[in-house]
Amino acid sequence: MGFFDKLLSLLGLTGRKVNVLVVGLDNSGKTTIIERLKPKPKQAAEVAPTVGFTVDELQKGALTFTVFDMSGAGRYRTLWEQYYREADAVIFVVDSADKLRMVVARDEMEHMLRHPNLRQVPVLYFANKKDIPVAMPPVEIAQALGLDDIKDRPWQIVPSNGLSGEGVDKGIDWLAERLGK
Amino acid sequence: MAATAQDSQAPLRGPEKKDEDREDETEFSPFYGIDKGAVLQEARVFNDPQIDPRRCQQVITKLLYLLNQGEVFTKKEAAEVFFGVTKLFQKQDINLRRMMYLCIKDICPGADEVIIVTSSLMKDMNSKVDLFRSNSVRVLCKIIDGQLLAQIERYLKQAIVDKSPVVASAALVSASHLLGNNAEIVKRWINEVQEAAQNKNNMVQFHAVALLHALRASDRLAISKLVTSLTKASVKSPLAQCLLVRYVAQVIQDSQPGANGEQRPFYDFLESCLRHKAEVVIFEAARAICNLRDVTARELTPAITVLQLFLSSSKPVLRFAAVRTLNKVAMTHPLAVTHCNIDMETLISDQNRSIATLAITTLLKTGNESSVEKLLKQIGSFMSDIADDFKIVVVEAIRSLCLKFPTKQRALMNFLSGVLREEGGFEYKKAIVQSILVLIQEIPDAKETGLGHLCEFIEDCEFTYLSTQVLHLLGQEGPKTKEPSKYIRYIYNRIILENATVRAAAVSALANFGAACEPLRPRIIVLLRRALADNDDEVRDRATLHLQQLEGKAGGPDAVQPRLDVNITAMEKALSDYLAGPTDKPFDISVVPKAPPPVRASGSSALGLATSTATNSSGGAAPTSAARKDPTAEYAELLRSIPQLAPLGEVFKSCEPVALTEKDTEYSVFCVKHVYEGHVVFQFNCTNTIAEQVLEDVSVAMDLAEASDFEEAFTVPLDQMPLNGVGQCFTVVTRQPGAIATGKIVNILKFKVKEIDPSTGEAEEEGYEDEYVLEDLEVSPADYVKPTLLGNFRKAWEELDPATEKEDEYGLGTREGLQEAVEAVIGILGMQPCEGSEAVPPNARSHTVLLAGIFVGYQQVLVRMSFGIDATNNVAMKLVVRAESIELSEAIHSIIQDA
Repeated sequence: MGFFDKLLSLLGLTGRKVNVLVVGLDNSGKTTIIERLKPKPKQAAEVAPTVGFTVDELQKGALTFTVFDMSGAGRYRTLWEQYYREADAVIFVVDSADKLRMVVARDEMEHMLRHPNLRQVPVLYFANKKDIPVAMPPVEIAQALGLDDIKDRPWQIVPSNGLSGEGVDKGIDWLAERLGK
Repeated sequence: MAATAQDSQAPLRGPEKKDEDREDETEFSPFYGIDKGAVLQEARVFNDPQIDPRRCQQVITKLLYLLNQGEVFTKKEAAEVFFGVTKLFQKQDINLRRMMYLCIKDICPGADEVIIVTSSLMKDMNSKVDLFRSNSVRVLCKIIDGQLLAQIERYLKQAIVDKSPVVASAALVSASHLLGNNAEIVKRWINEVQEAAQNKNNMVQFHAVALLHALRASDRLAISKLVTSLTKASVKSPLAQCLLVRYVAQVIQDSQPGANGEQRPFYDFLESCLRHKAEVVIFEAARAICNLRDVTARELTPAITVLQLFLSSSKPVLRFAAVRTLNKVAMTHPLAVTHCNIDMETLISDQNRSIATLAITTLLKTGNESSVEKLLKQIGSFMSDIADDFKIVVVEAIRSLCLKFPTKQRALMNFLSGVLREEGGFEYKKAIVQSILVLIQEIPDAKETGLGHLCEFIEDCEFTYLSTQVLHLLGQEGPKTKEPSKYIRYIYNRIILENATVRAAAVSALANFGAACEPLRPRIIVLLRRALADNDDEVRDRATLHLQQLEGKAGGPDAVQPRLDVNITAMEKALSDYLAGPTDKPFDISVVPKAPPPVRASGSSALGLATSTATNSSGGAAPTSAARKDPTAEYAELLRSIPQLAPLGEVFKSCEPVALTEKDTEYSVFCVKHVYEGHVVFQFNCTNTIAEQVLEDVSVAMDLAEASDFEEAFTVPLDQMPLNGVGQCFTVVTRQPGAIATGKIVNILKFKVKEIDPSTGEAEEEGYEDEYVLEDLEVSPADYVKPTLLGNFRKAWEELDPATEKEDEYGLGTREGLQEAVEAVIGILGMQPCEGSEAVPPNARSHTVLLAGIFVGYQQVLVRMSFGIDATNNVAMKLVVRAESIELSEAIHSIIQDA
């Protein structure tokens, strides 16, 4: 943390730090979305499958996001729960074009929401890869995932395109607004 | 990481302490007595939303402390701590991150979990901070598996050639670790590693050279090439240069020594290293030269010169290294070291006792006759300051010096007796007494003085073992001296003053004097009478027996020292056989074969020659070829004693016994084949194991259908097969004189069984004939050949007709190593290895063995075998035979083919 950051935090300009957990099936675009959230010069050109997890820090308005970008590959999904306790928010990324595995996504999601360690934190759904022609619209995805049944926590589903960054900011704004309260 | 981690721990270390309170140092440790449970509680701090890096560091330090103290974390505890630590990746604090790396490496939970840090580490690997890059490489390589390694390969390759030496070294070291499980992948980085070997940084170069070597470790040719190229390139780092010197030494070790006069490969390089700037390289090169196999005096000279310079260095470590190396050289090349004697003499008064001791022993080995006295004086001045084991080294050095300069024995002997009187432990005293014993045996002039010193010694000796040893020696040697009477007082004093064991030994020693010196006998008898009242049985018994003997009864004075001229091993066997059977008849010692005239043990003479001190134990080892006992001599006596077999002539060869029955059957039969000029005698050693039966008239009938070259001549039956003892019956077959008849023989044991009536315990009158089928017996060409010693193999080889030469190749399959294969083939052929060729040099991939033997009829056979071994330990052999006839050559090949 540089001197300037310290100064900002002293003045209360950077505000609160929040931990955000980014989960979702493998190849749904989690890391790409995180990259898009970074300032332009820091963005990595290409993204390799995450093994385990990575941590990133992002500024958004008055909030500092500490983003835990989890790997979505099958063998690592059981490790997500290790990070539930600290999460102040969850971002669940769904591949809109992957109709076949929508049930798997729903399964993992329900599993996560039932977990005792996860508090009643806001969940942001990114219906990612909306640019692909066969992508399902967000409403259909919400239906497929059974989001309407979630009554105990705030949630939002936002269509996004990780490659262009379209929709990503909109989703994060929602999250920032929720957490800012 | 150790180098970089030190700083962070520095503030945690206890304050520097003075020497006086060093004992309670542990109490000053900040972590003394910390509890695992409490630390695990503290570890929850990792999960705080607002992380305090300093606090986390301390907790990790405690965790690492516990781990290093041997505390075991359960799987659950480890996983909890591990995941806690992973959450700290959100902090970019350099010190904290360093502790995290250490913690991840040490805690290492299950493979499934540890993999979760992979991406985080990969991110660090591409970070801008050198410390993150280097350490993440190390951790990553520790936790990674082959599949993931392939993914991050390119980053590692980059790291190897990284500008920062810390990162490059980390990558190189990690690669060395990875080599164990992922050799294939690491081998692809060879270009990068080679580039790193040219790095200007010393550490990187060192690691790169080590890795280059490790990459080729299994291929000797490649190592040789690598060493060649590296010696030409400029390796600047002293440590890398040291490594290179070691590798060069290894290559020289493995290469076959060149023909006479031809210079070894790489010797020039070693010599040039002697002029290197860094002392460590100079020393390494000098040591390498000194350790060369069969090093010549000319090759040694430059190395000795630089070591001599080191001797007068101001740094103790250099002096120690030099004197230690010179000490070793002195064992093999005492002359080469004599130049350094003046420098070494100043070292005797060195403050460091290790240096002084090494210097003195080296001097003792290289010393010339004139300097002995001076040396002894110097040694005497510090003998009391050094530990017992160093004293033993000194004593042994003096012994070898004494053997070298017998004229100086008086001074040396005086020295030994002087130190003998001083305080010292048992091992030390034993070494001195042994030395005096050896000197008495080896140097006739030293006998009288030596015995005198030993007499003085036993006057005041607290070690029973040494006292009895000395007394025995006095008994042996005392009577032969000019004035035997002067020893008697010393010995008799033992009878009065010492414990029972020593008293008994003294009685025997006295009796020896009485027996050997007629004039002294009446006086000895008087002394022995006094021992009759001793309160120990053994002492009284001995005194009584010896008195009787000296007075002419119980065998007379000559019987005091009975000479057992029997073969001791045969004696032991005969006695145990006797004890196994009924013991109502007295044991007859005349059945035990007489021993050959005693050969002086090679051990003591070897001891005398060996100028080594510390490694004297090797002196006792007899030559291995002598250890192969010859069964023929053992049986010859027995065969000659049987009248029916005597006319057959001299036995040519007796083979090792072969079992013809399974273990634990009713009867146990072993067969020994004896080969004569025109006959083969089969000796069957039979044992009955059934107590309820008596077996009489035992013989072995042979079916020679598959061995048509033989014709049965006669049998020598065994009257009764002893119960649990060994009885012999013989079957004799004839064959063409000198012929190599082979075949398989079916054997049937024939005998008459008489049951023992359990009520009376006596055998029944009537018996019945019975048979018992034994296993088949093979007579092979190997039975007809025996080893013979040969002076000059090449000459003998050329004298034999090349027309008899026969050559063939054989695969021997997978073997443990060349040596094992060589030994196996020698064992099968039963021939004598010549010119020490049975010893395979270490790491050799091929080897030639020369064997000599004679066939029945005293026809010479010579064998030249070339062995080769490949990477998978497959051994192939080429066998070339020359003999006096082509049939014999073929016979040798058939031995191998049948084996």
